[in-house]
Amino acid sequence: MFGSATTLERALILIVAAFLVFLPSIVRDPYHIHTATMIVYFSFMAASWNFVCGYVGQLSLGHSVFSGVAGYVTVLMFTQMGLSPWIGMLFGGFFAAVLSLAIGFPTFRLKGPYFTLTTIAFAEIMRIWFENTDNFIGIPLKGSEGLVVPLVGDSFWAFQFNEKLPYYYIALALLAIIVIATAIMERSKLGYYLKAIRGDRDGAEALGINPTKYSLIALSISAFFTGIGGAFFAQFFRYINPERNMGIDLSIDMAIMSIIGGQGTVLGPILGSFILHPIAEVARTSLGGSFLGLHLVIYGAVLALTVLYFPQGIIVPLRKLLARISGGDVK
Amino acid sequence: MTQPLLKVDRISKRFGGNQAVKETSFHVNKGEILGLIGPNGAGKTTAFNMIAGYLESDTGDVVFEGVSIKGRKPWDICKAGIGRTFQLSKPFGDLSVRENIMVGGFARSADRKRIASRADEVVDFLDMKDVAEMDALDLTAFDRRKLELGRALATEPKLLLMDEVVAGATPSEATEMVELVKKIRDTGVSILIVEHVMHVIMNLSDRVIVLDFGNLIADGNPHEVVNDPDVMKAYFGEKYVQQSA
Ligand SMILES: Nc1ncnc2c1ncn2[C@@H]1O[C@H](COP(=O)(O)OP(=O)(O)O)[C@@H](O)[C@H]1O
Ligand SMILES: [Mg+2]
Repeated sequence: MFGSATTLERALILIVAAFLVFLPSIVRDPYHIHTATMIVYFSFMAASWNFVCGYVGQLSLGHSVFSGVAGYVTVLMFTQMGLSPWIGMLFGGFFAAVLSLAIGFPTFRLKGPYFTLTTIAFAEIMRIWFENTDNFIGIPLKGSEGLVVPLVGDSFWAFQFNEKLPYYYIALALLAIIVIATAIMERSKLGYYLKAIRGDRDGAEALGINPTKYSLIALSISAFFTGIGGAFFAQFFRYINPERNMGIDLSIDMAIMSIIGGQGTVLGPILGSFILHPIAEVARTSLGGSFLGLHLVIYGAVLALTVLYFPQGIIVPLRKLLARISGGDVK
Repeated sequence: MTQPLLKVDRISKRFGGNQAVKETSFHVNKGEILGLIGPNGAGKTTAFNMIAGYLESDTGDVVFEGVSIKGRKPWDICKAGIGRTFQLSKPFGDLSVRENIMVGGFARSADRKRIASRADEVVDFLDMKDVAEMDALDLTAFDRRKLELGRALATEPKLLLMDEVVAGATPSEATEMVELVKKIRDTGVSILIVEHVMHVIMNLSDRVIVLDFGNLIADGNPHEVVNDPDVMKAYFGEKYVQQSA
């Protein structure tokens, strides 16, 4: 979808990117910067999910386990070993990637709902284990209470900033990385192979493709990025607990944003997050107190409408519209 | 004689109480088009699946170029040089016709340029230039079959297994497919083809084998086989054979 972008689309992408870079010079209010950071963070998470699920056509609802585990690794390496979260984040990402291989190896042979249910089961088992484990072979996990990242003040090394702004730009840089990684993947052998597996698994095998192998390669990259996002989240709030960082809500957010925006495309998941997060945020702030879980009701409604009218995601009609405006052909 | 390209030696498959293929042996020679016919449910697709690694034979062996490939996975068998098509062709969506063919090319090379130019050659070979940039899911049923053939050709097979490639085709499409299969053979690819349409098999095959209820009941040149009383019985029933006798 990147390669076949029309000139107008490319221009629009550049304008949006420039807008995001200069946004903080227009909006200075910390609350708004915070919200913008969360939108970019969710874009990154949805794009990480999409890296495997969107392209291989399997619905994981257990991706939050990668976020949570990597977050814990990052925080613990900082508190227990004094390691910079920048380094801990990479360790966390690798840890998530290895864990994803252990989970993916048995599950990627399963199809459709069986795959989805197994991913939920794995993630929930891990979350419940974390919630009920205060101390694991000497590592203080502190159960459902979670871990606080001790405040050390404004320090790049400690991934701690007094202002919201640095976090916003870190999230934006991460988003740029996943967009570029996905665009490269899409044009590589891996991208072709994942689409082949999604289209017809048996047919793919006949062309020399081992579906489990290539699904696992994509999954481990996806889990790595999801883990990086989880570490970022822990640093941003200086706090991590099993429910928020590893719970099923996060997994559902990642999946639904991708599906609504357009899974299996480079920019669809980002579009999904840009549409959904603000809606959820408004719902939470204006009605949240009186109607718990309202944002989930809204997600459900948007999802139902999208699946009915734009089954391949909102990016599809959007691209058609842009193509019509620029007078180009609709692919 | 030199050794056959593919030697199928007493392969069997049992599904529960149903013996789909029973101790069946045959071979494919280099450069040959071998037709495999038999009534519906005779075990033809099951035999294909055992050769291509989708099912493992309960007995015997499958030997390709002198090496046993029994128990190997479909992707390894592809790399060994056996391509296949399925009874139902499903193109890969969100990829153009040309990109679908490129998927096959990655089995032989990591060089994108080489794969792309090889895909262009295949597009030309199939005479699909005017649909090359189309999303593969938008193709007609017959073009889907041709595309599936093209994908398999991109893996540069030495042996191609084709399962009912003219099923549902119009007479003119069937003629085009026959010409295409001959053209593929002329590039040096050996072919094992399952087909229901009798005149297609008669036209194409150098040799024909017949499966019935999992048993091989005939092997010979197309005209001999078609006039074989056992084959007639399998296809048309006992009565027909008695009447014409
Ligand atoms: N995966 C399977 N599980 C159970 N039975 C099968 C399976 N595949 C084929 N069969 C049975 O095996 C027999 C042979 O089928 P098949 O090889 O598809 O026949 P053909 O291709 O000659 O029409 C049939 O009775 C069919 O129902
Ligand atoms: Mg069949």
